[in-house]
Amino acid sequence: MKAPAGRARLVGRPRSLAVDVRGVAHLVGAMTKYLSLATLVPAAVALGASESPTPFLAAGAIAGGLGWLVERLTRGDHVLRAREGFLIVSLVWVVAAAVAALPYLLSGEPQLERPLDAYFEGMAGFTTTGGTVLTDIEALSHSLLIWRQLTQWLGGLGIIVLALAVFPRLRIGGRQLFESELPGPEIESLNVRIRDTARRLWILYVALTAVLIAVLWGYGLSGLDERMSGFEAVAHALTTIPTGGFSTNARSVEDYAAVTQWTFVLFMFLGGVNFALLYAAFIRRRPRQLVRDEEFRLYVGLLALGAIVLGAQLAAAGIHAGEAAVRHAVFQAVSIMTTTGYSSTDFAVWPTLAIMTLIGLMFVGGSAGSTSGSVKVVRHVLLGKILRRELDQTVHPEVVSPVRLNRRPVDERTLRAVSSFILLYIGIFIVGAALIAIDAARVGLDLRVLDAVGVAAAMIGNVGPSFGIAGPLGSLEPFSDVSTGIMIVLMWLGRLEVIPIVVLLTRHYWRST
Amino acid sequence: MRIFIIGAGQVGTTIVQALHEEHDLTVFDLDPSRLEPLAHRYDVSTVEGNGASRKVLAEAGLAGADLLIACTSRDEANIVAAMISKAVSPRTTTVVRTTNPEYLEVWHEGQLDVDFIVSSEVETAHAISRSIGVPAARQTDVFADGQVQLVEFDVEAGSSDAILGVPLRDAKLPEDSKVASVIRGESMVLPRGDEVLRPGDRIVVIGSPAAAMAWSALIAPGKGKVTDVVIFGAGRAGTAIARLLLEQDIGVRLIEASRDRARFVAEELPRARVFHATGIEPDFLERERIGDAQVAIFAMRDDMKNHYAATLARVHGVGFTIAIVHEAQSVQVFERAGIDVSINPRAVTAEEIVRFAHDPRTQQVAMLEDDRYEVLDITTRVGSEYVGQTFRDMPINGALIGAIVRDGQAIFPRGDDVLRAGDRAIIFTESKRVPEVEQAL
Repeated sequence: MKAPAGRARLVGRPRSLAVDVRGVAHLVGAMTKYLSLATLVPAAVALGASESPTPFLAAGAIAGGLGWLVERLTRGDHVLRAREGFLIVSLVWVVAAAVAALPYLLSGEPQLERPLDAYFEGMAGFTTTGGTVLTDIEALSHSLLIWRQLTQWLGGLGIIVLALAVFPRLRIGGRQLFESELPGPEIESLNVRIRDTARRLWILYVALTAVLIAVLWGYGLSGLDERMSGFEAVAHALTTIPTGGFSTNARSVEDYAAVTQWTFVLFMFLGGVNFALLYAAFIRRRPRQLVRDEEFRLYVGLLALGAIVLGAQLAAAGIHAGEAAVRHAVFQAVSIMTTTGYSSTDFAVWPTLAIMTLIGLMFVGGSAGSTSGSVKVVRHVLLGKILRRELDQTVHPEVVSPVRLNRRPVDERTLRAVSSFILLYIGIFIVGAALIAIDAARVGLDLRVLDAVGVAAAMIGNVGPSFGIAGPLGSLEPFSDVSTGIMIVLMWLGRLEVIPIVVLLTRHYWRST
Repeated sequence: MRIFIIGAGQVGTTIVQALHEEHDLTVFDLDPSRLEPLAHRYDVSTVEGNGASRKVLAEAGLAGADLLIACTSRDEANIVAAMISKAVSPRTTTVVRTTNPEYLEVWHEGQLDVDFIVSSEVETAHAISRSIGVPAARQTDVFADGQVQLVEFDVEAGSSDAILGVPLRDAKLPEDSKVASVIRGESMVLPRGDEVLRPGDRIVVIGSPAAAMAWSALIAPGKGKVTDVVIFGAGRAGTAIARLLLEQDIGVRLIEASRDRARFVAEELPRARVFHATGIEPDFLERERIGDAQVAIFAMRDDMKNHYAATLARVHGVGFTIAIVHEAQSVQVFERAGIDVSINPRAVTAEEIVRFAHDPRTQQVAMLEDDRYEVLDITTRVGSEYVGQTFRDMPINGALIGAIVRDGQAIFPRGDDVLRAGDRAIIFTESKRVPEVEQAL
């Protein structure tokens, strides 16, 4: 029987894609356009330091122009839903790293003249990883150094969160987009509008940075720390609060006075606390909320435990003594666990046991909703509770016991997401470590297995420096291009917490059938 | 008193039964088949119509009513009826029955314009909690903020020799307590000193909480404090019971057949162990050692399920079983099946509501043995004939003063104590003598 002609027209052809790619491109283009404005900062610094602002202005013009072009070409009525969110977040970060890399390439800096190296440095910047391919950091111009620091500061709370806070008219809707970028599992449903949340987070972020600049500069002016100049105060404040770890010094923060290092400890610690809690404690003046929070308590507990274990190992090995032993143990525990990556001493030469402790801390991370990377303390809390419940249910299969966090029951979906996140994270880390080790063997690079493990953990955890040649005073420059590429992917995956990107690899993401 | 009763279901009927002799009752219901038997048996006026309708209430003469009892099974209808009554006739006291403890909470916070609210679930939970708090008790009530307890015991063959076969005056009874009555078969005796307790007697004791515990030890030696209770069914009643027991630091296990409900209750009550199970699979009962529980409470919605599960739990070794019954006739079945305590939420609710209908001085009323006996809490008038008399000289005419509350302190009077005006007397008496006793004091 012949089908009626009208019916066929109504049914139509199958749509090949279930994702509005043009809409995604439109938004990513718009964000690139706005992000290019950030190049004005190093351009101004260049003028102040009598350096050439051209690479920054040119980079800004290229990025801004391309962004504008893409935005214009894809104009239309786009409705972006949760599904598009994954693609937007993933792409924004790929593009952001490219924007960061442009000035490096255009500046003619010999250490960064290869595009892959410049891109690595850009990704390490925005993902606040703090690893570098530079071998002589101090050879960079002031303006390039400040650009490097600034990328970490911009990436700390997230580019989309930044866009929401600064450009409220940008057509970004949807909580999911916001949450896929903000670290940690989504547990608390915030009652305020996400725009307001984004703005509050940024106010706190800017305030903390400003306070740290003032304090550090104060040390310099008052003579408490002779080494601290105004430039260095700003540069280091920009990478402490976002737990980034880039420094303008070859030896990181090693040469600063003890008081400066203790100050870094405090602000790295704050950078690893949930910003919503910090907001409640400092701005709403409800510090008890902080103390009552289960994640915060374990965060402090683990930091203390890490510091004590490290201190004992250092004392036993006779590497440091007295105040220095305490300071380096605390500093390194805080720096590594919050995934900052500053070093107060070359911890790559520490005994193996201490290095294993540091690798362990790399997998802890800071709190959810902080600027830190890695797994995050709250996921460890929940995983522990999930496992305890599993054991209970082995004996009592019928028991119904909701997992609680801060006394509130946690949704089963969130729990599944936590378990699968940790599995994916560990899985990708293992594959990454293996690939880096194999690649090192292929090109004849002298890399211990422990170092390969350290590099992979430091990259996916957005920590930065690790051990051996990749230690805090070393550089990732000796690694082959393949390894550099793997590291870039690890940083990207780690910063977006794996799932938004891995989702893109599934067939069901792209198709509706 | 002119009393409007809205709803002629089980609760309404029980209330009518208790109040019809002394008061002028008007009963409202939409269903004439429920009103008819009431009109036949009792001298009450009935109105077929919606008790939550202003027109119906006004036509029946709401302005002249002293008390309005809204006791249908629908919470919202009850509340609307009470609110209309408050608006039309502010002098009418309103009592509302609810099955949702949340309304009770709202009312406690003063956000519901109703004089009294009685929640079936909460009252039932209290009744059960009382009978668990005193393990051997059949029924207990508390007066004067818990300082005075009234406890009903079944004397067993295994009860202590200190009370069996000895005249009461020679028996070593717990201090601060009195045997208010002995119920033997169909007859009730207000015991004198030469009375001897026998197995099979049911006794009513009035005393301090410590004395109630001591009595419990005498009646059923070897039963200690309850720490392990299993509740079958986590509906509103089961949850309310669990909440109350948890507040008393009693360990609670809840068994619920609906997965979603089990999850919800587990979220609500973090300290309870909640199981998603029907409670009648032998494997489950074995695995969780349900038989080891000291008390099992059956709070499922279906009497037959409760009956079956309770019998099964007894087979598995649970010593003490309490069932919630929904149909009045189930009580007999449950008793026959050996279930230790059966509690009818509607009866409990009715009992709670009836106290508002008594003399305004009467603070609390307990009903025993299907309303044949009552315990009154009456403040003694200045001109009462009993003021100034010692308790030894008081004539016992079907009433007994178990305790008095003076300046907020409970006193368990001895023979030479004197009753003063203003004392609150806790009195045990037959229902038919209530007006007489109220007048005398």
